[in-house]
Amino acid sequence: MNDIVLNLFPSQSGTRFGRRQKRERANRLPVTIVTGFLGAGKTTLVSKFLQTPEGRGTALIVNEFGAVGIDDALLRSSSDEVTLLGNGCICCNTRSDLQLALRKLVADRDRGKIPHFSRVLIETSGLADISPILQTFSTDRALGGEFAIEVVLTLVDAVNGLRNLEKAPEARKQVILADRLAISKIDLADGATQKKLAAKLKALNPRAEIDMALDGNIDPRHLTESGQDATAARHSGFVAEASHSDGIASFVIREETPLEWPVFQRALDTLVSLRGPDLLRIKGLLNLKGSKGPVVFQAVQHLIHPPVELADWPDKDRSSRLVFITRGVTEQQVSALLDACKSLGFVTGD
Amino acid sequence: MKRGKKVAKKPAAKKKAVKKVVKTKAKKTAKSSVKKPAVKRSASQAGANGVVNWNFKPLSHHLLGGFGGMGEGMSVQIAPDGRRILWLAHESAPKNFTAVDVSDPRKPKVVCQTALPHADVRSNSLETCGNIMAVAYQTKQKNMKPAGMELFDISKPENPKSIGFFDCSGEHSRGVHQLWFCDGEYVHMASSSPDFIPTHPQDDQFYRCIDVRNPSKPVEVGRWHMPGTKQGDNVPPPPRHPLDKGYRAHNCNVYPQRPDRCYLAYIDGGMHVLDISDKSNPKRISSWTNSPPYSGFMHTVVPLFDRGLMLVTDESTENNAKDWPKLVWILDARDETNLVPIATCPLPDHKAYASRGRFGAHNIHENVPLPTCWQNDQIVLGTFFNGGLRAYDISNPYRPEAVATFVPPPAPGAPTGTTQINDVFVDEREVVYCVDRHIGGLYCLEMDF
Repeated sequence: MNDIVLNLFPSQSGTRFGRRQKRERANRLPVTIVTGFLGAGKTTLVSKFLQTPEGRGTALIVNEFGAVGIDDALLRSSSDEVTLLGNGCICCNTRSDLQLALRKLVADRDRGKIPHFSRVLIETSGLADISPILQTFSTDRALGGEFAIEVVLTLVDAVNGLRNLEKAPEARKQVILADRLAISKIDLADGATQKKLAAKLKALNPRAEIDMALDGNIDPRHLTESGQDATAARHSGFVAEASHSDGIASFVIREETPLEWPVFQRALDTLVSLRGPDLLRIKGLLNLKGSKGPVVFQAVQHLIHPPVELADWPDKDRSSRLVFITRGVTEQQVSALLDACKSLGFVTGD
Repeated sequence: MKRGKKVAKKPAAKKKAVKKVVKTKAKKTAKSSVKKPAVKRSASQAGANGVVNWNFKPLSHHLLGGFGGMGEGMSVQIAPDGRRILWLAHESAPKNFTAVDVSDPRKPKVVCQTALPHADVRSNSLETCGNIMAVAYQTKQKNMKPAGMELFDISKPENPKSIGFFDCSGEHSRGVHQLWFCDGEYVHMASSSPDFIPTHPQDDQFYRCIDVRNPSKPVEVGRWHMPGTKQGDNVPPPPRHPLDKGYRAHNCNVYPQRPDRCYLAYIDGGMHVLDISDKSNPKRISSWTNSPPYSGFMHTVVPLFDRGLMLVTDESTENNAKDWPKLVWILDARDETNLVPIATCPLPDHKAYASRGRFGAHNIHENVPLPTCWQNDQIVLGTFFNGGLRAYDISNPYRPEAVATFVPPPAPGAPTGTTQINDVFVDEREVVYCVDRHIGGLYCLEMDF
């Protein structure tokens, strides 16, 4: 689309991906997702965040599984807006409700019916699988055109965390897909248990920084900044570092030389068409030939979000780097596919 | 799948899309001066004072010594001593213009504020080029003075010195409403003239080009008026629009990319592209109007040369949005003889802003061809009175998207109880300056999108 528009209305500052943007989300409303197993202390953490300057102007969506409104009552006093999604888990039957709730919030805001808010925080139920939620935000056809997930924070209870991670696949997946992790109730667990839990979390998700949350207190910026770009950069040379339970693995693909967009696009199209359901999350920066800034690339399962070209690189590293979280797709397979497409190259013309 | 089983246990009848929506009052936080409504809202005026700060970073706010009713003249000068001076026109008397040192936009300092000779004159427009500033003077009634254009030496910003005056006063003249001065040689302006007798009293201002190469002796070199608006024309006067704001010139933009073109907005007469290759004999190349069915008052035309696009703004002039919708239009201008409207920048919801004061389009950032002005063809920054300052991404001009909004709380004593953001200018550092029409003065911002 943008190539066509650029041909009609050329611009020296335009890109094939539209306007060069100062940050990835551009005009989209930032969304923070706080997840964690039952009783991990999500509501306490969210309440504390809402009382900070960073939390000001946050609309809150709470997903309750089972009994109605307990968390809502706790949070109502601290947020400009609380929308409660009841009856079930946000990831399955209320996913469309999430879309409705978000659109209603924005419509009401634009009509002046509710105060202005500049961020949405979704507190999922303890049993939520966040993959479908991420998927909902990854395409223009759903919410991706208006909302952008900035942080997925998973809270793990220091007392019961290890047991939950052993027994509950939902808990493991919450950890694996997180941008950030936080360990709660640290005053109730001894140092050895905390250490063991931290090691387990690191094994499941080596990319995520781990906070220690006492009484729900963490650096509020950790609910607004993913820190993932920097983390990916630090994992230079990281290859298939972690092999998770449930067949889930994460790895980073790096390319030092600029990529041709048609080549990369075709490689990813192939990957998505063959193994889309197994691509739980792909995110990173691309150095593309012809682009001045880095291009943010994101995909969740079969959905590829429209890429965005940023105005500047976040650091001196000019390599393309993509974090993959996959089920049964290896780093070697992805690298081989990309190498094959690169070796073929591409020719333009009809 | 497991979750599917658990959900299935719930009685279907109890399922609701959104169980409950609870709205709580905005927190009363003293520090949140730019985020929270300063005036209590009622249901009927919900959002009218709705303070919004989305994707702009406020740097500072200056009330300009209590004279914060600002017009539509904003220009940045780098003074000989290196200071960055923002020159601001006032909306109306008693003040003429104000100079603000914005070298540090977090700490703007007023360095000069001058007064008009009397209350029946206003200087709503100004431009600077190097160390010369041109100021427009328009009187309330015809046949009053000063009605014309004054040139100042601003090499010492604290002490601007008048170096020339072009008198436009006369029996049928109110003087100059708006001017454009970027090349140091010519002032293009919307002006009356003592020798111009309009067919309708409202149609008194037209396009005039003034040679100011000798600032002490400005000389008119050319003019153009819309046919039918001058007595003696060989075509009938144009039909009046219901709000009848006049067939008269407003912004007259000329750019170095096409020095042979003037992009002229003509209020109720739409807009016109003029060939000014012979300044003494401007010729109309093309015209476009949205009125009727719209309600006139076309205000600004900004060409985006590389892209073959044109931005055209209306001005809202009626309180409580009685003239809604007033829009920023995007025209396909690849063929300048056949201008085609392709989109408008989306306005916020009518109900949220329609009460109290003006609401709708007015000025936009004009890519003024000066080194101190930000040049961009991907973003439209526009002022919408109580709708604040709004930014739109037009990388796809068929689908402009809102990317940022700044609606500050009304300054104490705001007569409409709302802010009325009137004009915007972005310097080459990408610092955004916008002003309030009534009382709020100057806001300095950063774009964060």
